Amino acid sequence: MTEQLVHSADTAVVRTAPRPSMSTYGRLDLRRQLRDRFGMFFIVGLPTFMFLVFGLGSDDAVGSGNVAMYVMISMAAYGAVTATTGVAGSAATEQVMGWGRQLGLTPMRPLAFIATKAAIAMVVALMPVTLIFTIGALTGARGSWSDWVLAGALVWLGSALFAIYGLAMSLVFRGPNATGIASGMIVILAFLGNVFTPMSGLLLDIGRLTPLYGYAALARFPLTEGYLPTGGRDPLWLPVANVLAWTILFSLLALWGVRRSRARV
Amino acid sequence: MNTPAIHATGLRKEFRQADGTPVVAVDDVDLTIQPGEIVAFLGPNGAGKTTTVDMLLGLTRPDAGSVEVYGVAPDAAVRAGRVSAVMQTGGLLNDFTVEETVRAIAALHGRPDRVDVVLERAGLTELAGRRVEACSGGEQQRLKFALALVPDPDLVILDEPTTGMDVGARQEFWQAMRADAALGRTIVFATHYLAEADEFAGRTVLMNHGRIVHDAPTTDVRAAYGGRTVTFRPPAEAVGPEGIDPAWLARAQQALAPLGVADLEVSAASLEAAFLALTAEVPVDTILEGATR
Repeated sequence: MTEQLVHSADTAVVRTAPRPSMSTYGRLDLRRQLRDRFGMFFIVGLPTFMFLVFGLGSDDAVGSGNVAMYVMISMAAYGAVTATTGVAGSAATEQVMGWGRQLGLTPMRPLAFIATKAAIAMVVALMPVTLIFTIGALTGARGSWSDWVLAGALVWLGSALFAIYGLAMSLVFRGPNATGIASGMIVILAFLGNVFTPMSGLLLDIGRLTPLYGYAALARFPLTEGYLPTGGRDPLWLPVANVLAWTILFSLLALWGVRRSRARV
Repeated sequence: MNTPAIHATGLRKEFRQADGTPVVAVDDVDLTIQPGEIVAFLGPNGAGKTTTVDMLLGLTRPDAGSVEVYGVAPDAAVRAGRVSAVMQTGGLLNDFTVEETVRAIAALHGRPDRVDVVLERAGLTELAGRRVEACSGGEQQRLKFALALVPDPDLVILDEPTTGMDVGARQEFWQAMRADAALGRTIVFATHYLAEADEFAGRTVLMNHGRIVHDAPTTDVRAAYGGRTVTFRPPAEAVGPEGIDPAWLARAQQALAPLGVADLEVSAASLEAAFLALTAEVPVDTILEGATR
């Protein structure tokens, strides 16, 4: 009797369809990201430090607020962009370096992986934005309430563009250093993009064409209405066009990178 | 009515090299494996083992031919958790701990209940809190084995699981493996260590140049390399810096002749040598004939 029971239990293996728990995976992956002190220094520490150095207590008027507000938005943007670039870049690298094969042996669909990584990138990007905005609010950054809300939203959501950038770069350069290259280039692009120090003349003309310019200018637009610290004014269409153009360019580059990496296998 | 664990027919896969010339990695491979079998995939580097394994797992799409795993497409079998694998390359995140790695994969399988079981099965319970990058190669390989056990699969495929391990680690790995096989799992493993096939697999499939050159019970493969070898230890005075004194060898041959020993050969007798013979350009049938005679 007992034997029969055991036997039937053995053969009648009923396999319930496994349901992947993306939230558990996402939480573990997010914790791993936050534990990376080196990475988090560049995402949260450095931009905060630069805000403290360049922005703290600068009360000269800019648009509807002051310089502290202007620098606060810029540095928050820099931090957010570093976050999305890093997370998206390392996601691509993980795929290429073999973790992707491990994930390929689970019921998880690739789209769920991308969605989870995007969510992680946005959560991590929220950290420098929240911290720097909080410090700014406590130390005398001034602007109308709509400046705060719009700038915060534009900085946070706009940083998604650089997730595409990070992905594209990692697929183009490949290998374990790809994310480092992508993040390093963000520093240069931040200079050219008028994020760190106000530029003028030829450098500004070149800078207007670089990817961080449109994003940062758009985030500051509620505050500055396009007026530049060095004189002159950007019409709204300019940063908008810049962001759209780079979104398309990065997306095409990422698509090409995905195709190329598939072709190898 | 008995659905085979693996049923592959006419598998073919071609790759393009960096300079554009095509290379046939797998060429017309037919393979059927029944549930409960333990099968070794034996072959030198570049024989097409990994590519075959990739196709069995649905990670690579064959150019021609078809694969069914438990009667369904490989990726469907993977999603259902019926088949899993220990991959040869990469596959772990350095900054996860051992336990986090298992929990992450268990989450994706929807089997968080399996975490403790597979850690124990792979002998990793003590290392649960260690970061992956701090683990030795053998420990990382055992971790991958633990990940493969998460969905409680009917079939586990291992692609050169012990490459780069020292003897001790290799032994530990196979101990964990053997304990698990006793529970009735179907196991297919690729290796280039003949001894592993010899010790562990009931059936050996020999691959070379993308083709299956020999597929038989492991005991037959052993027979194919000559049954038993008798080894003599020559007296110390017969061994010089140049090897064994030829005069002594001639005398030994003379002494053995009445026993029917026709030839005396001095070699570093090894399974590897036999394996090389089997995978050499010589047709295997000829070698087999010679062996069974």
